[in-house]
Amino acid sequence: MIPGKYRSVSGRATNNVNCGLHLVIQTSSLPEKNKVEFKLHKETPSFPGRLLQHDLERNYSSRQGEHINLVSSSMPSFPILQRSSEEKILYSDRLTLERQKLTVCPIIDGEEHLRLLNFQHNFITRIQNISNLQKLIFLDLYDNQIEEISGLCTLRSLRVLLLGKNRIKKISNLENLKSLDVLDLHGNQITTIENVNHLCDLRVLNLARNLLSHVDNLNGLDSLTELNLRHNQITFVRDVDNLPSLQRLFLSFNNISTFESVCCLADSTSLSDITFDGNPIAQESWYRHTVLQNMMQLRQLDMKRITEEERRMASVIAKKEEEKKRESHKQSLLKEKKRLTINNVARKWDLQQQRVTNIATNQDGKDSDSPSQDPCQVDGSTISAFPEETGSLDSGLSNALQGLSVTDTYLVEVDGDTLSLYGSGALESLDRNWSVQTAGMVTTVSFTFIEFDEIVQVLPKLKIKFPNSLHLKFKETNLVMLQQFNALAQLRRIDQLTVDPQGNPVVSFTLWKYYVLFRLSHFSMQKINGTEVTQNDMIMAERLFGILAHVASSELPQYRLISILGDARKKQFRYLLESKGKKPGIVNEENNDSKRLAGENTNRATLNYTTRDFYNEKLEEIKEKKKFCKTYIEDLVKEATEINMKNEALQKLWPQMFIELVRDAVIEIRNKNSYMKLCLQKITDQK
Amino acid sequence: MATEGAGNLASGSWRVELGSCAGQRMLSSERLALPDYEYLAQRHVLTYMEDAVCQLLENKEDISQYGIARFFTEYFNSVCQGTHILFREFSFIQATPHNRASFLRAFWRCFRTVGKNGDLLTMKEYHCLLQLLCPDFPLELTQKAARIVLMDDAMDCLMSFSDFLLAFQIQFYYSEFLESVAAIYQDLLSGKNPNAVIVPTSSSGQHRQRPTLGEAGMLEGVEASLFSQCLENLCDRHKYSCPPLALVKEVLSNVQRLTFYGFLVALSKHHGINQALGALPDKGDLMHDPAMDEELERLLAQVPGLVNSVTAGSEASCLPSRTPPRVGSPWRPLHHIRKVDAESDGSTEETDESET
Repeated sequence: MIPGKYRSVSGRATNNVNCGLHLVIQTSSLPEKNKVEFKLHKETPSFPGRLLQHDLERNYSSRQGEHINLVSSSMPSFPILQRSSEEKILYSDRLTLERQKLTVCPIIDGEEHLRLLNFQHNFITRIQNISNLQKLIFLDLYDNQIEEISGLCTLRSLRVLLLGKNRIKKISNLENLKSLDVLDLHGNQITTIENVNHLCDLRVLNLARNLLSHVDNLNGLDSLTELNLRHNQITFVRDVDNLPSLQRLFLSFNNISTFESVCCLADSTSLSDITFDGNPIAQESWYRHTVLQNMMQLRQLDMKRITEEERRMASVIAKKEEEKKRESHKQSLLKEKKRLTINNVARKWDLQQQRVTNIATNQDGKDSDSPSQDPCQVDGSTISAFPEETGSLDSGLSNALQGLSVTDTYLVEVDGDTLSLYGSGALESLDRNWSVQTAGMVTTVSFTFIEFDEIVQVLPKLKIKFPNSLHLKFKETNLVMLQQFNALAQLRRIDQLTVDPQGNPVVSFTLWKYYVLFRLSHFSMQKINGTEVTQNDMIMAERLFGILAHVASSELPQYRLISILGDARKKQFRYLLESKGKKPGIVNEENNDSKRLAGENTNRATLNYTTRDFYNEKLEEIKEKKKFCKTYIEDLVKEATEINMKNEALQKLWPQMFIELVRDAVIEIRNKNSYMKLCLQKITDQK
Repeated sequence: MATEGAGNLASGSWRVELGSCAGQRMLSSERLALPDYEYLAQRHVLTYMEDAVCQLLENKEDISQYGIARFFTEYFNSVCQGTHILFREFSFIQATPHNRASFLRAFWRCFRTVGKNGDLLTMKEYHCLLQLLCPDFPLELTQKAARIVLMDDAMDCLMSFSDFLLAFQIQFYYSEFLESVAAIYQDLLSGKNPNAVIVPTSSSGQHRQRPTLGEAGMLEGVEASLFSQCLENLCDRHKYSCPPLALVKEVLSNVQRLTFYGFLVALSKHHGINQALGALPDKGDLMHDPAMDEELERLLAQVPGLVNSVTAGSEASCLPSRTPPRVGSPWRPLHHIRKVDAESDGSTEETDESET
């Protein structure tokens, strides 16, 4: 009868292959059969209630013929079980009490040799009255109403404990079951895995259909080969790498969404079969190859064999993924670095500006008596203030960053068609060898935190290196005067100009736009600060400043014209000398260019801008010349006035002198004879 | 060569001197009383001679190509016309009264259109305009001029072009005089005996302060007659140019008491002083310059060409310089009638030369 029961169980299981698990337990202690085959039922939904009920009834009715009598004992609540001696002999070591509508465990008397006890499909709420069955190896309490694991502490030889489909909330009281081989707790209400660390012989643990939210605390389960965790609410898995024998892990229908939350699986060397189906992670496009790549030891994933081809694909994809990730990490690192550098540059700039204004007010004299800051101290505070900024970053990034960005005082960035320069140091980048392609692509050049005067000095370079730049952007560049725009006239072409009001006081002037239009009229600009330039604007600009240009061109004396245009040319020349060493080929072209420039707009070319430093230099030069001129003219004029004075004195004396001379001559020749004698004497004396 | 040059200089500068001392009359006897050198220095002839040589040195190569005599002719012509100060350094622009007047006039001519357009501008913006003509023009002077317009407060207010220009004229042309006046005013305020005032130096202006509020509340300013006496004293001694004393007295005679800025405002608005200075037309005519308007119309006619194409634009912008009509020298329409000789042809040629 009992084998029949087994058959029927296995038969039922075959209907349900997908969710059933075929177990082979080798137990040498079972005498008549070396192998006891049975099925663990993990999936109950495939047994609809009605069928189960029907089954139960049928089984129950078939049991009627069995020679098992449940006799009410003297104790009021517990039935006492007795078997006929015949039956005892036939199935001396097993007892099946399936579907007996038992609400309590009966007292089983005189059956101390029992090895297998089956209480499937009853209504037992508490495990009782079996502590005397110390030889019990197999205890099946599947489908009862047990709320707590208890009463098992004497069953030291128990190897299979089936408690599926009960009401257990907590794993407990298994301390003495050291030789437990199979523990089935599926279909309960367990929320955490606990009190199992001593089960070093446990090979199979079924916790499917519980309320687990995570997996950990698994160490000590050294023999565990199969762990079933399907249909829980697991979000992360830990500790699995502490299971040296684990081969099969079922995580289907949980709440795992990232590979990182199960990454310990990658460290398990024994795992060969795993399922993730029914998890959010399985929906991801990267799911399969990521798992394969990280778990080289796997042979089956979601019940499918893993082919070599698939594995190769996975590794290729994973490699790409890895690269992508590294790239994005790099990118975010760069982005962060950029942000920090810009902050750093901004701080430097602010300090510098403050210093400049300080000096300016000091020069202004009157009311500011605070001495200008010591520049060294300023630098020091910049550096020391920097680490605070990095504090907000996540540690990985900031670690990587700290080495990089503390010293950076400028930033150069090419993003598509935009070249962005932050900090005056960035201007040096124009000396770099830009590839022709990059240089050709750049149409927008943006300057931030750079003194405009410094920008002016590199404009010729900009013209050569980025010939296609059409749009210039200035922000925090200290544009304060209209005349500074004159400097832009030397460029090849500008279509658009954007001057951010931040750090450029000139933008607050009502006239600045018109002046730009006027001065850069030869570019026929399209947009200024994002607004389209209209014909009216052009006319207005001309109306306001046309006369200035006219005066500058037509009334400037020739020598001044030469001098002013000469300066511009000289500046160009100075740059050419610098660049000559590097690129001799360009010089000729550039020469023509500068000539053309000089001819292009003479009436406006006189309106040029020399940077303050250069201008001061020039003034210094002039001062020296002036000094020389002063002394030279002084000498000349003194000489001239002296000559004049002598001349005048001579003029005054001359008439008197002439009279005296004549008188002397007359007196001399008054006595003719003696005079003649004298003359003759002189002649003879000469001979 | 050297003496020849000096001779040229002397003959050239003679005319300049006549032109430059328009406001002042110098008797020939006075001329004879001074040694030649001092006389030349006093008349600023030396300044121009020095500057001419300096300019020559600056562009030796270029100038020697078209002739040194030509250069000197042109230099002194430009001095007479007042175009010599365009885009020059501030130290030169303020070196002589003639230069100052020329600069004022150039500023008026160039930016009259801005005023005509009706824009009210801030002090900073005016300063920018000044810097377009003189790159190192000091902010301090502009600030002082703005103080006259705005009566020493609300420095970032908007000003009309003519207000600013007239105030700026007084401040710029008579800046040394005004500093001395400020010192005297302070002394008067603090109750010192004005007649015992030590000759104020140019540095004395620095410790000028606003009168404390209490004082100003009770009796603002100083007594006009006393002030006038002191100024008379000052004008006698002063080595820099002062406004005509009669006109100053006229200003002061109208009121009982006045403040420093009140005085400056009165000066700047005084029609006679403007005329005596001779750089700007009368206030009513400040927006009026028909010759330049004509020129502007011509320039405006070329604007559409500018928009259409780049090449046309550059050509068009060349045009005015190719055909500089020299519509009289800038000084001519005002106070001095000067003959324009045939030199305009020569200079046109040279303009072309410089373009190549």
